[in-house]
Amino acid sequence: MNEYAKQKRKEKIKFGIVSVFSLCVFFTIWYVCTAVLHLKPDYILPSPVQVVEALIGKLTNTAPDGATLFGHIAASLKVALSGYLLGALVGVPLGIAMAWFRRVDMFVTPLFDLIRPVPTIAWIPLMILWFGIGLGAKSAIIFVSAFVPCVINSYSGIKQTKSVHLWVAQTFGASRKEMLFTVAIPTALPLIFTGLRISLGTAWMTLCAAEMLASNKGLGYMVQINRSLARADLIVVAMLTIGLIGTLFTVGLNALERRFVRGGRRG
Amino acid sequence: MKAKKRIDFEKMFYAVCAIACFFLFWWFITAYTPAGETTPGPIEVIRLLIDSFFEPIGNYVITGHLLVSLRRVLVGFFVATILGIILGIGMGTSKWAEAIFKPVFELLRPIPPIAWISLVILFFGIGEISKYILCGIGAFTNVTLNAYTGARNVDQELVGCARMLGTSERAIFFRVVLPSCTPQIFAGMQVALSTSWMAVLAAEMVGAQEGCGWMIQRGSDTLNITLVMVGMIVIGAVGMLLAAIMRVIERRLCSWNVMDN
Repeated sequence: MNEYAKQKRKEKIKFGIVSVFSLCVFFTIWYVCTAVLHLKPDYILPSPVQVVEALIGKLTNTAPDGATLFGHIAASLKVALSGYLLGALVGVPLGIAMAWFRRVDMFVTPLFDLIRPVPTIAWIPLMILWFGIGLGAKSAIIFVSAFVPCVINSYSGIKQTKSVHLWVAQTFGASRKEMLFTVAIPTALPLIFTGLRISLGTAWMTLCAAEMLASNKGLGYMVQINRSLARADLIVVAMLTIGLIGTLFTVGLNALERRFVRGGRRG
Repeated sequence: MKAKKRIDFEKMFYAVCAIACFFLFWWFITAYTPAGETTPGPIEVIRLLIDSFFEPIGNYVITGHLLVSLRRVLVGFFVATILGIILGIGMGTSKWAEAIFKPVFELLRPIPPIAWISLVILFFGIGEISKYILCGIGAFTNVTLNAYTGARNVDQELVGCARMLGTSERAIFFRVVLPSCTPQIFAGMQVALSTSWMAVLAAEMVGAQEGCGWMIQRGSDTLNITLVMVGMIVIGAVGMLLAAIMRVIERRLCSWNVMDN
């Protein structure tokens, strides 16, 4: 067994080195294509060095898009989190109620099915009309995008509660309310968390779209305005920042899930 | 049997009630409150929806816009699906491929397709190619990720069994590995298709002369909210149709694997 573990570790190190090497090759190719060969002009495809320089400059410099990188991040986070929290606060209880009360299910599900297939991006013009182009419209758009996965997952989470468990609770004299809070909701928690994670992902993605169409600050705005200014280096900086923050969200929620949800599907 | 029929009837009754309430509420709000000044009522929207099949909006009637958008989605989706399946299964079955491609893939994966719009437009202009690519990016990450996890989670016991019984490596791949990750790949394709559909809207809203996304954006620019709503209805209906078609194909191809949903 020890020999096996040793071999396993050796293999891991070997493939780790290959991975690092492959990333290096990726950046080298990028560098050679841009800085050495100049396949495309700088304003279309910047070299990695230019991107890093742009990133460092952007930490303190507000030109040319009106805010530092942190300013954009803060603006985006404010919109994304406000919309997301609202979506989760409404979506999760609604999903639970739909799954638990038969009448609510029969009444709300058709409406929900009516609205759900419309992609969030298609709501943007309508929301701008109703709420202006400020924080309100963007939060409302994020709300729609975050709300849907929350409802679906909470609903199927409660629905998958085993009837046997409910019967046992009933036999021991639990009230409907106790059954909901001590049996059904704990059963649903892993799926509810999945819903929260998915909806954070979609919220973050929708945010870019919302900011591209109407805004004056934020990461999506940064991507959009720098296209008009032909500053591809800043576009890449913004894209990488968006990706990085998205990853951080996922990692954070996974950690929360591992801490608070016992008996989830993952160990 | 009778009880079941009664429940079905009750369900229908509630559904009809809910939708009727929705339309009544919408009609009431737009007809009798100040909201009606900016937001059109259901009757106007339905009238424009019917008209739009005969009278062109911009260059095409509504079916024309739909076909343009669908073509963009499907071209991007198919190319990306094929590439994604190859890369995903490659990464899932070969450690070398995993070590080489996974870091780069993980670096680029979290960037949403919509954030690529600017760069892609700078690169390829606002023509058709950049729309195909954007739809492709939306589909590619989902399919790759699912093919990868599918291929990694192949039951090693099955592979071992086949190998012990003298199956060639090629046959193992086609008869064991590929079928066992098909359901997962289909799940990825299902998500990928709706992501592509969303990406094409975003791409068309940013820069296009035709398509569903353009229709909404045009409505928004000219303050023609009825047009926006018609666009939303059509987009929602087509999105639903695409998902349904995918489900039918999945049931045909993976009928041996009746999943529990």
